[in-house]
Amino acid sequence: MRRFNLDLKISHKGFILVLVPLVFELVFLIVLSVLLQNAETEVQRQVRSKAIISQANALSKLFYDAGVAMGGYSITKSPLFSDRYDKIVRQIPSDLVELKALVGDNEKQQAILVRLQAITSDGLKILGEAKAAIDDNRVDVAQFRARHMYKQIRQLADQLQDELKGLTEDERKLESLSPEEQNRSRTMVKVSLVIGVVLNIAIAFGLLYYFLKSISLRLGTVTDNSFRLARGQRLNAPLKGSDEIAHLDDAFRSMAEALAEASRKERAVIENAADVICSIDMDGKFVAVNPASYDSWGYYPDELMGRRFIEVIVPEDVPDTIRAVRSVRGATSKVSFENRVKKRDGALVNVLWSADWSEKDRALFCVAHDITQRKLVEDAIKANEQRIRNIIEHMLVGLIIITKDGKVEQVNPRTESMFAMRSHELMGRHIMSLFHDSTLFNVEDQNDRNAFMETLFTKAFNRIGEFDCIKNGSEDFPVEISLSELTSPDGQTRYMANILDVSERKEVERMKKEFVSTVSHELRTPLTSIRGSLTLLAVGAMGGLPDAAKKVVSIAERNTIRLIGLINDILDIEKLEAGKLDMEMQDVAVSNIFERSEQAVNTFAANNGVTLEFVPQLNVMHADGDRLVQVLVNLISNAVKFSPKGASVTISAQEIAGNMIEVHVTDRGRGIPETFRNRLFQRFQQVEASDAKKKGGTGLGLAICKGIVEQHGGTIGVESEEGKGSTFWFRIPKAQQIIKVA
Amino acid sequence: MKVLITDDEEDYRTIASTCLGLLSGHDVVEASSGSDGLAKAAEENPDVILLDLVMPGMDGQEVLANLRQNPTTREVPVIFCTTKGMFDGFEEMKKLGALAVITKPFDPERLGTQIKNILLTAGKLRSAD
Repeated sequence: MRRFNLDLKISHKGFILVLVPLVFELVFLIVLSVLLQNAETEVQRQVRSKAIISQANALSKLFYDAGVAMGGYSITKSPLFSDRYDKIVRQIPSDLVELKALVGDNEKQQAILVRLQAITSDGLKILGEAKAAIDDNRVDVAQFRARHMYKQIRQLADQLQDELKGLTEDERKLESLSPEEQNRSRTMVKVSLVIGVVLNIAIAFGLLYYFLKSISLRLGTVTDNSFRLARGQRLNAPLKGSDEIAHLDDAFRSMAEALAEASRKERAVIENAADVICSIDMDGKFVAVNPASYDSWGYYPDELMGRRFIEVIVPEDVPDTIRAVRSVRGATSKVSFENRVKKRDGALVNVLWSADWSEKDRALFCVAHDITQRKLVEDAIKANEQRIRNIIEHMLVGLIIITKDGKVEQVNPRTESMFAMRSHELMGRHIMSLFHDSTLFNVEDQNDRNAFMETLFTKAFNRIGEFDCIKNGSEDFPVEISLSELTSPDGQTRYMANILDVSERKEVERMKKEFVSTVSHELRTPLTSIRGSLTLLAVGAMGGLPDAAKKVVSIAERNTIRLIGLINDILDIEKLEAGKLDMEMQDVAVSNIFERSEQAVNTFAANNGVTLEFVPQLNVMHADGDRLVQVLVNLISNAVKFSPKGASVTISAQEIAGNMIEVHVTDRGRGIPETFRNRLFQRFQQVEASDAKKKGGTGLGLAICKGIVEQHGGTIGVESEEGKGSTFWFRIPKAQQIIKVA
Repeated sequence: MKVLITDDEEDYRTIASTCLGLLSGHDVVEASSGSDGLAKAAEENPDVILLDLVMPGMDGQEVLANLRQNPTTREVPVIFCTTKGMFDGFEEMKKLGALAVITKPFDPERLGTQIKNILLTAGKLRSAD
């Protein structure tokens, strides 16, 4: 059987609940009003009928009275009859008007009334004529008229009577009908009332049933579903319809499905979790354990269930664990603690427990996370940290960590000894206060600080810069500083300053310089005299010498020159390596360098039977002329030394890319083996060990050339082919503007 | 050309004066100290003074400063002669008012030519020389 069910919402149903009785009451009221109206109309019609009958009777009587009065007047001529007649004649039209008003819209009665009006008019006319005849004392006429009048009057009176009779009969008929009609109306009202009340009650019960069925029972189903869900039972069949309860049922079902899904997932998570998840009862026994216990501890969940969890904890850790568990019961949120679990195979596992107490279940819910690896890493990090700390603390270099604006944040012990201050005195101060600059500028002035920091970064960021620091308030000492950026875990930029106290090194350098200067002076002075004397002897300035003596003097002179060259070269290389090259940079014409070099080596070349070919050059370089001559002379001298007799050495220059001038010295000598070319510009390197003796070189010349060229920002190199010769080249920056070469 | 050699080392003075006199044919006057050099410079009116930098008592720099203060010797060209190395700040020395620097040990045969070339370049060589 198909269930009665409308797809209505609760709001619609409520609307029906109010509207249906209301409509019914309204219909009932209208019906009742109509019935009452009908009854009222009937009563009014009855009253009117009676009035019409009464009025018709009165009119008929007046007409007879008028005739009677006229009769009496004609006989007696008494003014009493005359007055009576006049009064009746005045009253008849007004009674007719009243009758007309009573008849109203009834067409039949109106027609009667028209005729009645004509009859009364004729009658009154006849009576009027009769009265006139009487008043004129025309008795004959009067009598004749009276007779005729009577006849006419009687006829008229009869007609009137008939008409009035018709009128009253109608009314009487109606009147006679009225009580019956009234009874019928009353009965109808009573029946209507009874039907109305019965229907009202029926509708009320009907609606009540409908609401019970469509709301209460459906709500009951939803309520029942909630109990079923709580008990884990299957839910009732889904509610039909599209009202709010159906939607509620639908939403409830979705929620139930989501809960079931969440529960499935939760179960899956717990069962597949890498961490051991368990609950422990009041007695400290496992009441639930997930499968992770096997992988983590080597125990299947069934083996742990019912066992006291303390049994798997390493005995030394038990007291702390018990204390921690007790604290969990009093805590309002999760409590974490660490201990070690002894695995089935005896191995120890470091475990981080996260425990929560459920008052309802009277149990601890725990997640045990294996942190063995983390502990190992932490221990390694700690050990590493300790090692790094040891290194830093025992470093010979001072370490200062500063913030971006120069505030000292951390120092190592070497820094403390270097500045003769304790770490707490150093930390927090501005790094500028440790520098000589603080005695010249104001450390408290932000502009001075900024200027200092700029200088510090320019000179020492990712490079080594030299500075003067102060200790004990005023004592200066030289340092080398290198700054590098540190990435802090907090994301803020910090800088590490490596500070090396170079006081001792500087002192050694000073002493070395002094020594070199002294040696230089002390050696050169006698050598000047020896060489001068030998030369004067050799050239015969002191008189002629025997050939054998000349030869020996010549040997002495040559070796003195060689010794002087060696001393000069040693002094030069020391200067170069100390970076103390004092250069006088200016725009210098290549032709000038060529000329000066030619003057210096011409004799030497001629003595060796080698021709020098200088290719004219117009370019201008930016360089220290004296030093470039030194370089070129060295290269030409080498070329001459290694050229066979009769060969030529070509010296040329050309402009190359990058605004550089490249100078070439090309010989046709034996060439340089490839394996040796890389070492050629290092100190004391000779292609052949005997070269130093044979060619009189010191092995320092090319190293000096390289130093000088590099100090100019240039490069030096060689291209060579064994057996065919070598080309030595060096590149020097070109002058920015061309100067006129004389 | 008259050359005044001012040096505390007698050996050096002998060699230099021999080179300049005997080999190059110049007139040579010797002074053994700074103060002696100042006096000789005023007396002898040399064409050029070869002045040692490192001397006991008044060193070369002081001598030069004194020469420049004396109207008689103010214009006399001075060439420093020193055992200092190539990179010991020749430019600094030149700034003191010296025309050039000749390092010791020098080439005895070329000493005269070297001095002459320096004077020539600087436009300080008298036409008679």
